[in-house]
Amino acid sequence: MAEAVCEAWRQEKEASFKAAQKAAKMAGFRAIKADLNIVSKNEETLRGLLAAALDSICDSIGRFSPAGKMGIAGLLLIVFIAVFAPFVTFYDPSAISGMSLEPPGPDHILGTDELGMDIWSQICYGTRMSLVIGLAVAMISGVGGGFLGLMAGYMGGNWDKVLLRTIDITMALPSFPLLIVIAAFLNPSILNVILVLVFLSWAKPARVVRSQALAMKKQQYIISARLYGAGPVYIIRRHIMPEALPLIFVSILNISSYAIVAESGLAFLGLGDPTSKSWGMMLHYATSFRSIYFTPYWQWWLMPPLIALIFLLLCLAFIGRDMERIVDPRLRSRGGQ
Amino acid sequence: MRCRGKKGVAVQYATALFLILVLNFFLPRMMPGDPFLILSADSENEVISVLTEEQRQYFISYYGLDRPVYEQFASYIFSVARGDLGESIYYKVPVWEAIWTRLPWTALIVLGATLMSTVAGVLLGLFSARRRDSPADKMLIVGLISFAEIPSFLLGLVILLAFSVKLKAFPLAGAITPFAHYSHPFDALWDIGYHAVLPIITLSLTQLTGIYLLTRNTLVTVMTRDYIRTARAKGIGERLVWTRHALRNALLPVVTRVGFMIGMLMGGAVLVENVFSYPGVGSLLRSSVIARDYPLIQGIMLVMAFSILTVNYLVEIVYERLDPRTSSCEAV
Repeated sequence: MAEAVCEAWRQEKEASFKAAQKAAKMAGFRAIKADLNIVSKNEETLRGLLAAALDSICDSIGRFSPAGKMGIAGLLLIVFIAVFAPFVTFYDPSAISGMSLEPPGPDHILGTDELGMDIWSQICYGTRMSLVIGLAVAMISGVGGGFLGLMAGYMGGNWDKVLLRTIDITMALPSFPLLIVIAAFLNPSILNVILVLVFLSWAKPARVVRSQALAMKKQQYIISARLYGAGPVYIIRRHIMPEALPLIFVSILNISSYAIVAESGLAFLGLGDPTSKSWGMMLHYATSFRSIYFTPYWQWWLMPPLIALIFLLLCLAFIGRDMERIVDPRLRSRGGQ
Repeated sequence: MRCRGKKGVAVQYATALFLILVLNFFLPRMMPGDPFLILSADSENEVISVLTEEQRQYFISYYGLDRPVYEQFASYIFSVARGDLGESIYYKVPVWEAIWTRLPWTALIVLGATLMSTVAGVLLGLFSARRRDSPADKMLIVGLISFAEIPSFLLGLVILLAFSVKLKAFPLAGAITPFAHYSHPFDALWDIGYHAVLPIITLSLTQLTGIYLLTRNTLVTVMTRDYIRTARAKGIGERLVWTRHALRNALLPVVTRVGFMIGMLMGGAVLVENVFSYPGVGSLLRSSVIARDYPLIQGIMLVMAFSILTVNYLVEIVYERLDPRTSSCEAV
């Protein structure tokens, strides 16, 4: 008898507790909604955010080392070539414009390949491919992963646990074998390559941003802002975003060079899009050419895409290293670089 | 370090493996068409025999494709667990056999590169830490970091062009000289080593920097500790302080790094082998990609993924044993 009473009492208490919890949650949601309304009414928010981001980027460029500045100059040059590819080349990259395997000369600056296509044009148009893949993958997984990490870190609870498990498993997946097998089975369009690379690279920014949000949530000034009635969207936008943005920016740089390497590696193995002109595909065709190393052809067929890829990756690396140094002041005092 | 029990790590790796198996099982089934379309058209001999509906049904039930998906999946898991990875379409041998004959070459260059980058990285790290902030130290850092940013297959192409094509100092392709007769077993070993040098150097150059920076930075931190001052105060000599006291304590993080490095080296070996036409699993993969030999591609992927997961799992377990600090839970 006593037990039954006890049980009933416990259940009742639990129910009331749950109701209170639910009410609290509802209040939380309402706060978010109200907050969102304020945010959406304030039209300048997005522009302000962008301006702040630009400001912080400009500010950090001022603190770059000479190597970093060289990296930026190199990257700007590459972007320029990619955007104005039709104006800096004389031939269509997939048009047969000369004899087969012509050496560099006045007609063709860098010579022609096996099929008589101009190599300089192929390099210039290939820049677009590398940049598009790098930028798309990095933006999607950097911003998306960063957003997930931010939400999970700030909200905590079950969502956080689920996300943490997913991050752990994604990071344990061996990326290169997976990339090969997925690319072999799906048709190798640019979109598929981008999707697969995003799937394999979103975890790192999510993890970094999550731990940042988690650490910041406990800071005094954020707690006091919350006690003054600031909603989660306001706090994230006003206090956490500015701190998390540089981290996201660094991981965007790292992911873009990872994506460029992965795309060219896949193309080198023969898993690229055969209709597209990319540096990796050029490497693939050149190295598949029978006994290329016994002929002089490698000098103008294999070298240009090789040099272009290494140049782009080094530029990205120099920029990334400087960004990392500026974003994380701890690195400086650690006695390392 | 985040707090995860031993069980958590095991669950994490098991889930990753399961995901890979699921992917391996469903990818072919997501492709358009079905396997009997190709059976019914033989383009080489110009014989186009369309299977009758009856024959099609027979084949479908013969290969078990009419059974429910979960049953097919279960039988797939069982056959993989037994080591049966199917039959290569192009080489007409079991997939496992095709991989097995190539595996020793890949193992040779991966282990060679692991050994070389670890030894060279630790020695260079020690050298750099002892001469901290000297010009030699700064040059080493800048040079090695720039090397690390170049992916292994591009670096391999540069090395191949420089040493094999231009200088003709090393062989262009292969793992042994074709049709060679060795008068002495030592000659055979020499030949194998001679062919493996460039791939091993290429692979180790990409991983060297990680080990080097880790050793250098840990040594620099360790040297500020009290026990180093005590050791110096005992008057045991600078050399012993560095090797016996500092290096020993700095090697712990290096051990983990080496373990995880093996996984990365396996990924890198796939591409580097193709640069040097080295007859390992990586070049098998490229030829199977060109021949569209799907069972072989899947088999290679599975073997590689499984070995990488196993090595990484073992490293985490071993590391926990070596450094009890990681198993004690700190606040996240």
